[in-house]
Amino acid sequence: MSEAAAHLVISGVSKRYGAATVLEHVDLTIRRGELVTLLGPSGCGKTTLLRAIAGLAPPDTGTIRLAGRDLTQEPPHRRNVGVVFQSYALFPHLTVAGNVAFGLKVRGTPKAEIDHAVARALSLVKLGHLGGRRISALSGGQQQRVALARAIAVEPDVLLFDEALSALDRKLREEMQVELRRLLQEVKATAIFVTHDQDEALTMSDRVAVMNKGRIEQLAEPRELYARPASLFALNFVGLSTRIAGQVVGSQDGMVDVVTPVGRLTARGAFQPGASVIVATRPEQLRLGAAEGANAASGRVRSVVFQGSRTLVDVDAGAGASLLAELSGREAEVPRVHDEVRFAWPVAETFAFAAEAAS
Amino acid sequence: MTEAVLSAPVRRPVPDRERLAAFGFVAPSLLIIALVFVLPLALLLGVSVLDQKGGVTAAHYIRLLGTPYYLGVIWNSLRLGLLVTTIAFLISYPAAFALARARGALRSLLLATLFLPLAASVIVKAFAWTILLRSDGLINTVLIALGIIEDPIRMIFTQTALIVGAVNIFLPFMVLPIYAVVAQLDSRYAEAAATLGASPLVVFVRVILPLTLPGIIAGVALVFSLSVSAYVVPTLLIGEKYPTLATIIAKAYLLAREPGFGAAAGVVLLAIAIIVVALSTLLSREPK
Repeated sequence: MSEAAAHLVISGVSKRYGAATVLEHVDLTIRRGELVTLLGPSGCGKTTLLRAIAGLAPPDTGTIRLAGRDLTQEPPHRRNVGVVFQSYALFPHLTVAGNVAFGLKVRGTPKAEIDHAVARALSLVKLGHLGGRRISALSGGQQQRVALARAIAVEPDVLLFDEALSALDRKLREEMQVELRRLLQEVKATAIFVTHDQDEALTMSDRVAVMNKGRIEQLAEPRELYARPASLFALNFVGLSTRIAGQVVGSQDGMVDVVTPVGRLTARGAFQPGASVIVATRPEQLRLGAAEGANAASGRVRSVVFQGSRTLVDVDAGAGASLLAELSGREAEVPRVHDEVRFAWPVAETFAFAAEAAS
Repeated sequence: MTEAVLSAPVRRPVPDRERLAAFGFVAPSLLIIALVFVLPLALLLGVSVLDQKGGVTAAHYIRLLGTPYYLGVIWNSLRLGLLVTTIAFLISYPAAFALARARGALRSLLLATLFLPLAASVIVKAFAWTILLRSDGLINTVLIALGIIEDPIRMIFTQTALIVGAVNIFLPFMVLPIYAVVAQLDSRYAEAAATLGASPLVVFVRVILPLTLPGIIAGVALVFSLSVSAYVVPTLLIGEKYPTLATIIAKAYLLAREPGFGAAAGVVLLAIAIIVVALSTLLSREPK
């Protein structure tokens, strides 16, 4: 990443509430026009980080620079950020157009310009015909669009979404994810989404920051995050996986040999012999049958779940270990419950993580 | 909140039969309201236009609205209502926010100090003020004992005593409606306004004030109608020097035996209260 392209630079940001550390020395650099998701469970600090960027929860230490300006000491109204809240926080005493015009009015923009900008923002979110409506007369999806139009209308340097889609029902949410991404790319907005929904993160973002206990565990493109999780937490939080505990018995060239209840497995990772590790792989890497030079394990099928384009097979591999395999719809042979099966998967797609991080 | 957001309001036409059934259910309460409220008001109106012999006359109104003394009395009532309402509002608005921000035991304590006086009668509270404000009352005694003053200050039977006492007694009726609205106010509104570029002052004027207006209007309507028609408080705290509509109504009925004139004064008082309440309703109406 070139330094010139850095648009939002967060460095060394920490925040404590009493005895609890909510953010611990967070560094994050976002390019202009980039869509980044802060993904993590509740309490991981993602919303606090968003509020720190907006100026609603100033950090205890660290700096926040946006569009070349140091914002760390600036109050929210001088930051030029746009926030879409989970509850939308639309002003109930104003009409739809009044809400969208609010940010421009308080900036003292001339009336003709305001009218033009409001019309443009409302047509972007396809609500051009509802400008005169009261907020209480709108559906949830429409309110979401008004909140977005209100934030976009002031042309902020960064748009912040705080679980902005989570109040919508699932179908509407999935539609909005795709539409919102297209719209943000169209207006070339830089945006940060806060969510605990991995599908939303993978759909909406150029890069995803997985957060845990006030830290960013991994910052990567969605594909990379899924294929090369940097920690057990990132592996668990995004996508499904097969995980088997074991002990390292040998290591060389970034690969380890691990003894597990299902046999000896080889995985990517750097550990000393004797270390307790979790060996993991993604379910779609598992193939029925054996393969030369690959990891393999066998067991009895516990359940088979048909999900349309894929079938999930859960296998009891003995000694408390289980395998989760995803077979694509094209697979000729799908095992049945109680079948004895053997699965193999590539060594290159097998990872070892320190076991103590599992807590 | 979420459910309210998701469910768009759906209006369907109500069939006539349902309307009729609904009317059947509310009819008994309508009857009671008619007997207890409407009938006495109708009687009041009737009496106010009758002369001693039972003929119809406008004399009572002409006397009331055509005599400088009585116009002064009407102004006294209005002035009392306006002053008490304004001062009570200025105290109550920040107090309601403090109350809404307070947590735990402090909040309970503050609410108790507001609610408990409501349990005591107005007469008791007005007498309590006379005890405090008398020449040999608590305030003067303490000030003299501390050597701050040598001779007692005249406080009772002054306009200051009237306003201070009335504001104190009617304060809960201003604080509580405002508090009810402020406590429900989502802090996200102010945050959203700030991120949109509004300074704290602009957030207050354009967001907080309009959103708390329903509480303000309810409080103003309550305190104004209570103080404009107050009888006990002016009688005990200022007396003859500051006649109000309420005190001349009492005099007309109890001393002068002029029920027609008293009724006319009552109608004028009622008209003032109705105008204020109507204005409040008009102001609090939602924007279209």
